Amino acid sequence: MPLILAFDTATDRATSALVGDGELLGERVSRASTLLADVDALVRQAGAHPRDVTGLAVGIGPGSFTGIRIGLAVARGLALALDVPAAGVSTLDALAAGSPGATPVIDAKRREVFVPGPRAVAPEELEIEPGATYVGDGAIRYRELFEQAGAAVPPDDDERHLPRARFHAELATGFGPVERVEPLYVRLPDAVEIAR
Amino acid sequence: MILGIETSCDETAAALVTEAGEIRANVVSSQADLHARYGGVVPEVASRRHLELVSPVVRDALAEAGATLDDVDTIAVTQGPGLVGALLVGVSAAKALAWARGLPLAPVDHLHGHVASLFLGPDPVEPPFLCLLASGGHTLLLDVQDHAGYTVLGSSIDDAAGEAFDKGARLLGLGYPGGREIDRLARNGDPEAFSFPVARLDGLDFSFSGVKTALLYAVRDLGGEAEARTADLAASYQRAIVRALVERTRAAAEREGHERIAVVGGVAANSELRESLPGARFAPLALCTDNAAMIASAGRYGRRLPYPRYLDLDAYASRT
Ligand SMILES: [Zn+2]
Repeated sequence: MPLILAFDTATDRATSALVGDGELLGERVSRASTLLADVDALVRQAGAHPRDVTGLAVGIGPGSFTGIRIGLAVARGLALALDVPAAGVSTLDALAAGSPGATPVIDAKRREVFVPGPRAVAPEELEIEPGATYVGDGAIRYRELFEQAGAAVPPDDDERHLPRARFHAELATGFGPVERVEPLYVRLPDAVEIAR
Repeated sequence: MILGIETSCDETAAALVTEAGEIRANVVSSQADLHARYGGVVPEVASRRHLELVSPVVRDALAEAGATLDDVDTIAVTQGPGLVGALLVGVSAAKALAWARGLPLAPVDHLHGHVASLFLGPDPVEPPFLCLLASGGHTLLLDVQDHAGYTVLGSSIDDAAGEAFDKGARLLGLGYPGGREIDRLARNGDPEAFSFPVARLDGLDFSFSGVKTALLYAVRDLGGEAEARTADLAASYQRAIVRALVERTRAAAEREGHERIAVVGGVAANSELRESLPGARFAPLALCTDNAAMIASAGRYGRRLPYPRYLDLDAYASRT
């Protein structure tokens, strides 16, 4: 039976899910540093064993550089140990899949947000569509801006703001060697920007 | 066998070491070339590279040893100190490997790793001994009473010795990392040509920021002539740093009653330092700079966390 372990640690709240034969067996939300404790709980609660996992669906960002790397490093360790293929899923795509019709906005810190493209822009430069819905931690952070422009942002605790890992499992295609699952940083490191 | 993983600074490394301390594989992928254009390690650049290299180095180590993960019974990983973003790549991959295989995880202190480079075969150093750890990130005098740990007797209050070499090399227009370049040039220079005083602190601490400033002034005073005197400048600069290291190391050994002295870390590869401490044991050249064999070696003696106690293990930047 296909058993897909999915997770995303690109944003402040990490998500993970276990999907067996297309059916959601469990989903958790915590932080990147405790991702493996979540993964362990998901697998145990499903009465499964790590070696039963047949594939990995991993969030590749954009988001926090360190957060993205924690998820991708865990994926590399798991794929190596279990000899299973992996597929990368954009964190923006997962957010969009969890909230059909809405536009995903991820907080990029330093007064910028990540939006589909993907690209990093100052929230003031976004062309906000009146009547449209915006989700993600970037939408929460700049809620005022969106609402003033006549757009809707669900309440802060609405689960549509989270890139829920069940959608990574749903969207994942092209499973292959884990080294091919690359991070989506969008931005260059600061030093590289300066040196250019 | 123990699988060691090291990603604390600018080397991505994996190694396989037996419980008896025999190195079966030691793979180090250096990022020095990548950081050369910035004149030092850029944390975000380093962390990105670690992610690209972490699984290839583990695969390479297994291939080099002719082993599979079935032969591994403990995962050892550097937990700190170092660049947190870089450390987290190794820690995350190591936790995942350990969890997936149901193995224990040994979180290793990077400094203990350097000391443990002396405990590997074929000719291990047995405690007790006085240890000088000198690298790009650290300059420490350690009292090593057993395999499991150490006590800090003194340390640098500013730049590390290796950092002083790197910064000096930059002032002299040499490449990065600078230690090797200065060592090479110094062989053709007069170490007494210039006098670069090193601050003498009370106790067993070091300070290397003053010597770097003295070199800066010397280069400035020489103006256009500085280039022709590069070898003399390098030799005198190296002499000043080595002399400070040797004096403090001898003083520490005497104070603590140690008959044996050992030197580890990247600066342990310096030829003048090796000549200046004739009776001392030096880490093998391949194990001076950061590597994972020393981490696996330390993993033999430190605590091993059984499943599931390491699942929320985090990296740390400094020992507090
Ligand atoms: Zn080191």
